[in-house]
Formats: sequence, structure tokens, C-alpha cells
Amino acid sequence: MKIKVFAALKDYFDKDFLLEEDLKTIADLKAHLAQQQPKALALLNLCRFAVDDEFVALSHLIHENDEISVIPPSSGG
Amino acid sequence: MKMMKSALFPQVAEVDITPLSATDLDLVQLLSLAHDPKAGAVVLFSGEVRDNSTGKTVDYLDYEAHESMASKMICAIVEEAAKRWHLTKALAQHRTGKVMAGESAVVVITCSPHRKEAYAANRYIIDRIKHEAPIWKCEYFTDGTKEWGGNCSCQKITGDANKHVYEFEDKA
Repeated sequence: MKIKVFAALKDYFDKDFLLEEDLKTIADLKAHLAQQQPKALALLNLCRFAVDDEFVALSHLIHENDEISVIPPSSGG
Repeated sequence: MKMMKSALFPQVAEVDITPLSATDLDLVQLLSLAHDPKAGAVVLFSGEVRDNSTGKTVDYLDYEAHESMASKMICAIVEEAAKRWHLTKALAQHRTGKVMAGESAVVVITCSPHRKEAYAANRYIIDRIKHEAPIWKCEYFTDGTKEWGGNCSCQKITGDANKHVYEFEDKA
């Protein structure tokens, strides 16, 4: 799966990267990312996740070729 | 409905406006596109970069967007408002990249036969774009520091960073 992160998350992760791990759900992905970068946990807890430009729930099942965006709370305008 | 004319960016009748712009927002040009003989009221809101934030002097902001999601979301919000308030025309455009203090970061233009609907719709559109569109600002200060900025404080009230309190819901 391909992961894209934005804004302050880029202080902790590359802006996009591939993951080969066997992660079944978005919740698993979130836990994996938090394990990689414990300091990002507070921010990850505020984030939403999107697959193919649609927001998905933590229970969403990940497919091998999914492109998953990790979306921090908006601060536009 | 006129606004449906452009399939890609269905924001303004007969004109394609991209919801995101990497270059200066041309408010005069956008306003000139919005003039409409059916509209007795045209409201333009420009969200501009303040020269101060959290007690520090702001040099510029750098806006990042999830471009495909933000574009779709802005179009959907504008379309929804256009239907709800029966607007004759409506558009919104948000900057990406570097925006200096005093420059426009986001513009919303709404047109309707009478002003009540144009004001209400405009406020609705800017509120939802600010709170919901995946766009982020990084503040660069004149002292050389930077800070990813200013998520809204709605979480203190709603208990959820992604549930918001909207100004357009104010009873005042």
C-alpha cells in the first residue's frame, strides 16, 4: 500500500512511502504508524484516513494496492 | 441550472474556475466573472493573511492541500450552497503555496436576486471550507520560526477535532 501524509505529519514521516507490512485495517495502519513514530501519536489520533479520495472508518479493510492518505485536521482559510 | 455547465469545476456559469490556485487570487477578475443580470446582490468574501498570530509577526503563510480531495470538496460545498439558497452564480478559490501578509488566501463569491441569500450562502461556504477542506497552513514568522497552524478550537466544545461549530449556525 502507498501512504501519503500531509502538513505537520511530514515532521515525522516522508510525504509518501510504501508499506509492505500485513496490515488488515486502517486501525492497524494507525497503530503501525504510531509505533514507528511514538511522538506522532497525539496528531495521529486527530487524523482522518482516506482511500482513493474518500474518507474511511478505522474498521475499513485495506487492499494491497490502496493509496491511503492520512489527513490532519484542516487549517485552511 | 447554469452552474452545471462545466463538469469539471461547476462553479461559475460558462467559466471554469479551479478551486485551488498556486498563484495570486485575482479578486477583480473573479468578481467580474460573477456579475449576473439575475443577481441584485453579489457578496465577495476574501480571507486574507494577518500580519500577526499568537503574538508574533507573520511574514507569510505556506498553504498545502490534498489537491484532489480539496478540489472536489470545495466544488461540492459550493454546489450544495447554490442549490440551498438558489444562487444565480457562486464560486470559491483557495490558494496553495506561499501567501504574504495582506494577500488573499481564499475568496468566496455568491450571487442571488436579493442580499439575504447571498450573505447566508457566502458564510456557509467559507465556514465549511475552513473547517473541512483538507488544506493546511504553515505560518512563517519574521523571527525565522515556523509553525503548522492553527487548527480550529472546535474540539474544546465538541470533543472531536473533526466535528465543528459553524458560524452560520449562530442564532445571533
